[in-house]
Amino acid sequence: MTTTTRSSRPVQILGWLSAISLALTAVMALVISPPDVNMGDSVRLLYLHVPTAWLAMYVSFGVTTLASALYLWKRTRSRFWDLTAGASAEIGVLFLGLTLLIGSIWGRITWGVWWTWDARLTTTAVLFVLYLGYLAVRKVPASPEVQARRSAIVAVAAFLDVPIVHQSVEWWRTLHQPATIGDERRLLDPQIHGAMAWTLLLGVVAFTLLYCWLLAHRFRLAWLEDRLADRHLEVAIEERRAEAGLSEAAEVTS
Amino acid sequence: MIDTRRRLWLAGVIVLAALGFLVFQGLGNATLYFRTADEAVAQRAQLGERRFRIEGDVVDGSVRQTGNDVTFTLTANSVEVPVMHKGDPPELFRPGIPVVLEGRFQGDHFASDRILVKHSETYVAKNPERVTTTQP
Repeated sequence: MTTTTRSSRPVQILGWLSAISLALTAVMALVISPPDVNMGDSVRLLYLHVPTAWLAMYVSFGVTTLASALYLWKRTRSRFWDLTAGASAEIGVLFLGLTLLIGSIWGRITWGVWWTWDARLTTTAVLFVLYLGYLAVRKVPASPEVQARRSAIVAVAAFLDVPIVHQSVEWWRTLHQPATIGDERRLLDPQIHGAMAWTLLLGVVAFTLLYCWLLAHRFRLAWLEDRLADRHLEVAIEERRAEAGLSEAAEVTS
Repeated sequence: MIDTRRRLWLAGVIVLAALGFLVFQGLGNATLYFRTADEAVAQRAQLGERRFRIEGDVVDGSVRQTGNDVTFTLTANSVEVPVMHKGDPPELFRPGIPVVLEGRFQGDHFASDRILVKHSETYVAKNPERVTTTQP
């Protein structure tokens, strides 16, 4: 594992790729894609709402869960997975917050309300709180091993809400519409205009690239912090030893 | 040591159970987020003057704007419910669309004070000819 204070070449390229694809998404979303027959221009919020939800729920929390499971499994247990899980969850919470915010604005425009307690919105709010709780659990003081193990268990448990959020629009009556794409029954015939679908797809790709870039940076920072903490510990131990040595020497001479 | 660990597990289980209870209690409400117009009519006696959400399609040609109020007919599974709504309907409100209303039965009609416009999962371009259609 090599970590330096500067990002590596591949990460820089990743950054440029995500910037370019985000810019392209903006052009597609704001200029090229058509307004919706019912929603008009507000349909353009779709190209932010769905990619941020995808990034947060499936990618970020998915990676957090996978990394946590790998930490819990003895054969793959390492500090690397714990730090990855934490870094990914932070990005997930940020983007789930954005999903809720953009969804709320979109809801005000199309439904007429900022918020309503239907199953999709309720389960998503619960998911947000669960992962905030996970980030809090990560900070509860304990030995690094206990901290990591405890967090990993919470992360795996919190992920149980993701399939519930996903299925909420099918299991219960909701104001939120069911899935347009990613639904097995409509997989080959999504009820969405071509240019809109392509914009959405590009948005999902762009936000996935952005996630990878953010994760690389957040992980590197976490790794450096971790090393710094170890270093502080070593220095403190050395200082203690030196002090002890000095006082012994003082006792001998006196 | 064993005791602390056991206690931690117990605390975890209790927290999870409480959370699960809250979620399903909340969702119990959310499962009944709305009653369709025909269900509401069938449950008319039990519902009484209670506040609830009703869902259905706005019947074409039934919308009348009178001062501050709007009257229209709501339909679901060929059961119709006359609606009197207080206040301005939302911007996207129009005949033919599915809506969810908040309010209560009052005599022979449903007195609504909030209209939520339902959106379907289909996205259709306003001017399809403006962009060459490509199937994904």
